[in-house]
Amino acid sequence: LAASGPGLCPRRGCAPEEAAGEAEAALLALGFSRAQARRLRGLQPRLGPRRAAAAAEQLLLLGLSAEAALGLLERSPELLRAAEAQLKERAEYLRRLGLGGGHLQRVAGRCPQVFTLPRRRMEAAVRVLREKCLFTAEQLTEVLQSCPGVLLEEPGSLQYHFQYAYFRMGVRQKEMVKARLFRTPFAELRNRHIFLERRGLYQTPLKGQTQTNNPKLKEVLHLPEKEFLANLARATPEEYEVFKKLLAREEEEEEEKEEEEEEE
Amino acid sequence: EKWAATAPRIPATRLALHHFDTNYSLQLRERWPAMRASLLCEQKYGALVNNFACADHVAQELELHNATDFVSEAAKKAQSLLQGSAAEAEKGESTSQDGPGGGRTVTQAGTSPLPPAPVSSNIKCYTFPRGDITRFRPAWPDTLGLLSYYLMDAASLLPVLALNVQPDDFVLDLCAAPGGKTLALLQTGACGHLAANDVSTSRTKRLYQILNSYVPKNVRETVRVTSYDGRDWAELEGGTFHKVLVDVPCTTDRHSVMETDNNIFHRRRTKERQMLPMLQLQLLMAGILATKPGGDVVYSTCSLSPLQNEYVIERAIEIAETQFNIMTHAEDLSHFRMLFQDTFSFSSDCRLGELVLPHLTANFGPMYFCKLRRA
Ligand SMILES: C[S@@+](CC[C@H](N)C(=O)[O-])C[C@H]1O[C@@H](n2cnc3c(N)ncnc32)[C@H](O)[C@@H]1O
Repeated sequence: LAASGPGLCPRRGCAPEEAAGEAEAALLALGFSRAQARRLRGLQPRLGPRRAAAAAEQLLLLGLSAEAALGLLERSPELLRAAEAQLKERAEYLRRLGLGGGHLQRVAGRCPQVFTLPRRRMEAAVRVLREKCLFTAEQLTEVLQSCPGVLLEEPGSLQYHFQYAYFRMGVRQKEMVKARLFRTPFAELRNRHIFLERRGLYQTPLKGQTQTNNPKLKEVLHLPEKEFLANLARATPEEYEVFKKLLAREEEEEEEKEEEEEEE
Repeated sequence: EKWAATAPRIPATRLALHHFDTNYSLQLRERWPAMRASLLCEQKYGALVNNFACADHVAQELELHNATDFVSEAAKKAQSLLQGSAAEAEKGESTSQDGPGGGRTVTQAGTSPLPPAPVSSNIKCYTFPRGDITRFRPAWPDTLGLLSYYLMDAASLLPVLALNVQPDDFVLDLCAAPGGKTLALLQTGACGHLAANDVSTSRTKRLYQILNSYVPKNVRETVRVTSYDGRDWAELEGGTFHKVLVDVPCTTDRHSVMETDNNIFHRRRTKERQMLPMLQLQLLMAGILATKPGGDVVYSTCSLSPLQNEYVIERAIEIAETQFNIMTHAEDLSHFRMLFQDTFSFSSDCRLGELVLPHLTANFGPMYFCKLRRA
């Protein structure tokens, strides 16, 4: 009974200072410096030192350096709340998707939410990529490696993004992978494509047509805006600014119209 | 052609675009893409203020939203240019007095060739600045039920301004419906008599509607609305008007790439479309013949096509001379380009007349206009 009294850690029955000391020792053993251990303790102190240490340990196991792990926890404190088991499970899942080793580090750094989002969501995204977009297993791995953010996408919008490139722009999976399609936000893809299209510089290929004069998807997406305008669209920044505003309004009104039609 | 097999399913807007891609890319070259994109994006409007409505606060309200009256701005610009050139002329004379013998020629070359004609009209038309995509809210009625302004392509006012109606002029609007330019002509308050004609009775109904919504009864009643074929006009009454506006049917480039309804590129209208330059020429001839000696004709289209623009003018000048012994000459309107360049983008290579080119930052037009003076 006395063991559960105030000031004592309820589960293990040890004093908080003791737990902190234990955790710090563990962190030092993992290769954290004292200063790093102190920073870690400063994160969400309410969760207790043991939690922070466990999370840090998991991240090290994923292959992150001590400093990278700490930085990540500082940027995404929600990872601290994820249970140790969940982190482990998630790392396992990502590895199976081909995101092992250095990729895992990059994923953890770029979109730490992959560790906290419900797994079902990510599975749904993967399913869309495989079953709806018909990426091969190899292509899928490449997509995930170059744009891990797709795992966080809402499956419906992921499919729309793909279909837009596939049907509207006439781009095949192979080229999409090469151009890292999903790294560009959809709105930007659409702005650039429709701008080129209205200027007569991009055409939806006809059925069965393989050769076109269209610029490569990679060029459309990856040129910095200034170069995109100067070399590809051959337009002024002023024109493009106005165009983006007009297109956004067109879209908005298109949606409103659809909603109204649905209501009828 | 490759797509002929599936042709029936291609919408008229696509056919129009294909046609323009083929023709305008040759004519306009690297400038075509910018115009193409502009035609395919939302156009800009101007709010032609209704001087007949008692709406003092209209100007205030429009200015509050950053719109400006481009007509009065051009007038101000013309005024300051006139004063500038007057000052320069004075300066020129004084230098020529104390300079050596050749002073006068130097002075003449130095001043602008023609002082710009002042833009004097009561027409007020508001537009939003370049790059601003704000829309005007729909016009509202005043206490008598007359609407405050009429929304139209602001470039459509240029032909009316070029006509330069003077007090008590007899004015003919040969192809008037639905009536935007007729309304602008009435806003000058100068028409001694206004005849508005359009062959299409359904479209003249719209003209009546506009007159009813914007013009008080006593003024309305001075407008004579008719539905003749404009080509026959000269047989009815030739040589009677001081000013004639010939705003002909054309390929309406913007409409044709955007709207499937009433599209002149529809396959069953191919013949009609191919006959347009001929119809345009005949209408312009009728317009010239309806003009008094010394009077003016303004010809206008909303197409970029030289076949419907300059060529029609050139042919008309020629036919007027050879067949009717009427001498006409195309007036230099380059001062329009200078006065209105803040609002519109003008083409710099029109052999005759002026052409407003659509541009995303000033998405008006296309609007071609040319003024002929009958000797
Ligand atoms: C460009 S629209 C005129 C627009 C009008 N001026 C305005 O500003 O609202 C051309 C008009 O020419 C008319 N039209 C066509 N053929 C004609 C003809 N033979 N005689 C007179 N009008 C004709 C059409 O009915 C159409 O309304």
